[in-house]
Amino acid sequence: MTKKKKLPIHIKILIGLILGIIWAFISSYLGWNKFTITWIDPFGTIFIRLLKFIAVPLVLFSIIGGVANLSDVSKLGRLGGKTILAYMATTVLAVAIGLIFVNVIKPGTYMDEDQRIKNRLSFEMWLQENEMPPPLDGKSFLDDPTYAKYLTAAQQANKLTEEQKKDLQEKMGAAQQQKESSPLQFFVNIVPENILFSISNNRLMLQVIFFAIFFGITIVLIPKNKAAPVIAFINGVNAIFVKMVDLVMKAAPFFVFALLSGVVAKMADTPAEVFQIFIGLGSYSLTLLGGLAFVIFIMYPSILKTFVRKLPYREFFKNMSPAQFLGFSTSSSAATLPVTMECVEDNMGVSKSISSFVLPIGATVNMDGTSLHQAVAVIFMAQLHMVDLSIGQQLTIVFTASLASIGAAAVPSAGLIMMIIVLQSVGLNPAWVAIIFPVDRPLDMCRTVVNVTGDATVSTLIAKSEGELSKYV
Amino acid sequence: MKKLPLHTKILTGMVMGLALGLIAIQFEGLSSFTLDYIKPFGTIFIRALKMVAVPLVLASLIIGVANIGDISKLSRMGGKTLAIFIITTIISITIGLSLVAVIKPGHKLPEDTRQKLMTLYDANAESKINVATEVKTRGPLQPLVDMVPDNIFLASTQNSRMLQVVFFALLVGIALLQTPKEKGATVLLFFNGLNEVIIKIVQYIMMIAPYGVFALIASLIIEISGDNPDKAWELLYALLWYAITVILGLFIMMSVIYPILIKYFSGIKYMDFFKGIRPAMLLGFSTSSSTATLPVTMERVEKHLGVSEEVSSFVLPLGATINMNGTSLYQGVSAIFIAQAMGLALPLSSQLMIVLTATLAAIGTAGVPGAGLVMLVIVLEAVGIPAAGIALIMAPERILDMIRTMVNITGDASVSVVVASTEGELDVEFAKKHADE
Repeated sequence: MTKKKKLPIHIKILIGLILGIIWAFISSYLGWNKFTITWIDPFGTIFIRLLKFIAVPLVLFSIIGGVANLSDVSKLGRLGGKTILAYMATTVLAVAIGLIFVNVIKPGTYMDEDQRIKNRLSFEMWLQENEMPPPLDGKSFLDDPTYAKYLTAAQQANKLTEEQKKDLQEKMGAAQQQKESSPLQFFVNIVPENILFSISNNRLMLQVIFFAIFFGITIVLIPKNKAAPVIAFINGVNAIFVKMVDLVMKAAPFFVFALLSGVVAKMADTPAEVFQIFIGLGSYSLTLLGGLAFVIFIMYPSILKTFVRKLPYREFFKNMSPAQFLGFSTSSSAATLPVTMECVEDNMGVSKSISSFVLPIGATVNMDGTSLHQAVAVIFMAQLHMVDLSIGQQLTIVFTASLASIGAAAVPSAGLIMMIIVLQSVGLNPAWVAIIFPVDRPLDMCRTVVNVTGDATVSTLIAKSEGELSKYV
Repeated sequence: MKKLPLHTKILTGMVMGLALGLIAIQFEGLSSFTLDYIKPFGTIFIRALKMVAVPLVLASLIIGVANIGDISKLSRMGGKTLAIFIITTIISITIGLSLVAVIKPGHKLPEDTRQKLMTLYDANAESKINVATEVKTRGPLQPLVDMVPDNIFLASTQNSRMLQVVFFALLVGIALLQTPKEKGATVLLFFNGLNEVIIKIVQYIMMIAPYGVFALIASLIIEISGDNPDKAWELLYALLWYAITVILGLFIMMSVIYPILIKYFSGIKYMDFFKGIRPAMLLGFSTSSSTATLPVTMERVEKHLGVSEEVSSFVLPLGATINMNGTSLYQGVSAIFIAQAMGLALPLSSQLMIVLTATLAAIGTAGVPGAGLVMLVIVLEAVGIPAAGIALIMAPERILDMIRTMVNITGDASVSVVVASTEGELDVEFAKKHADE
């Protein structure tokens, strides 16, 4: 019993995670899925809500505190520039890795040739129906008599179920809105109209960040004696929220267990079905996982190794694992943010003023995993429909995907909405996202791990470059 | 001229409102005048009460938990006292809820009146009924999930998410206890200040209470009766049943629960206890303030029941602020009565929520004058019953307040006896001799 108490938190979370998956399989095997969904899954929801409601005040107060504690405000501009640059660089790298993986493995070609021709034909028919320009590769299968025999089958394949249509329509509407805005809309959106409204909406995190930075700078500029009580109050509130994260994390293994068993139980009724879902999209999932794994296990550590020489490879993962496991189980970098901050500060030794500035921005803006996923998924779908994309076209995808990752709010499955935008921007059928729906949640979990790890990596790098890293120097 | 005390003014407001209402229904012009020019003041009063609800819950619960945490950390006796306080509070609310469910005073109103009340107080009555049916299809753990905010700022902008604010405040209080003193000090100071400010605001609001109550009761009677004066009498009849329910509940506390407590956990005979504490009870009845009665309660408990000063000086002041068995019972009954009168069916989960909110509200709104009303508003808002419905129960409020204060005091005294007895600080022989004096 005493031995169990001494287990480090990440091991406990891992145990909860594995037990959750095991439980989900056992319960679905015994037909207890309904029990799991009714009585266990709600605790997972509670966990995510807990983390989320801590996240906004934590972001608000920690940024204010962080900025106000900066010795020199002009430093902030440099810090901001560096942060954005570093995030962009890692995102481009991640997308490039995704492109390499998907072009080398070609997951879309693993499918039956006939099926792919049918796919292609139905795609061209869709283009004609919507009076869109011909496919990007300039070929036309419809005019080719050799493929005529597939035509009727292709027509049928085009039909979606009612439910899928409705879901798509919703997502397309959201995508449309996003697309119609001006390129500078992003900056307009950063400025809050009413700060209390922004704080009360989890999707407006960037506005909260903007306000907090502004507020923090102003605190530095007013006379010290007037600022002192405000700073003391903000630091106190911040300490309280950090303590709250501690309290919540004590129960994390249990909550993670509930989350995981809920996710798996909702996916399918029997283990065989779960298997089935994965086999159909196996090549795609494996390619994506390969890319994500490469980013986590090779790209980030080697970047870190280059700049922070004294950080051992395994130590990095040991430090970050609580945040990584949590990102995996909640699939939301915003919900994981409080824990990421704790890991980065306590384990990696990043100073508070750096982490409280870099990480919240990262949680909303930096989505290495998500953009990698965009690239892999879009090209996989193109391959599936026998559309050959040139390198130039693929680069367009990279560009759109990176921008999309910035716009994607830090909420679960926002990635799918962004993918619709990407598909549309390169003249592909946005309805294709339905193909990857079934496996999206588990893959979303994995890419959140990458997002979280990316944020942590960048914050460590920036701390190092600013001389604010207390360990590994 | 001698200034009238506030509770006398409120009582006057009630009586005058009742009189105006009954007169106005006879004259067309007077009743429309009342609705146009007097009713808004009642609405303003209710809005003012609602306005302070969220900040009050937030500040006072954070402070409350932080203080209580210190108390229970301080000593074994502190923990024990708090546990007994909470248990007796829960018992009293449960008794209230059971009685009101059995007697159904709200159903003494005819069906059409109830529907009228519903549309009167709740513009979205229809949607609320829809929500109620929706509730049935949700999972059994959904209320638990709903208690946790996913954004605390959003939660604090909506009175219907009161429970989320309560949950948040509890968590902040607990976290505050565990943060280092030097960091938490400023925050604690801030919330203490905020709490003081809000209590002051509540006092100001209570200054307009007589007028608010007057306007509420007058317009209620006009609106409910329309052109049929009998309706007004039906309402008063239902109120009579409501008052009977509350009084019956309080009587059960006095004649069953406390005797059991005294009998099994101390050596004193209940009759002795009763005789010993009687003067304090009478004073509580006439002042309807446990704080004002506190000196007398302490004297009776120490000098006539043989409780050591160490125990009584700790348990009683604490009890006067956070242990309100009578008030909690009253809140449970009132909330359900209002819901019944509006034809709202409350599922079990809402009833449990009433228990929870009323218990916490008792801890949170420690020692706030006029707390009963604000607490009731908090409870109503948390369960989603339109708070304007408190106009219904205004009429007998004053009398019930007197009786429930008596129960509050008896509760505090019994707990002090029980704590003293289990701590070995009770002189039973002494009690036998001096209880009568």
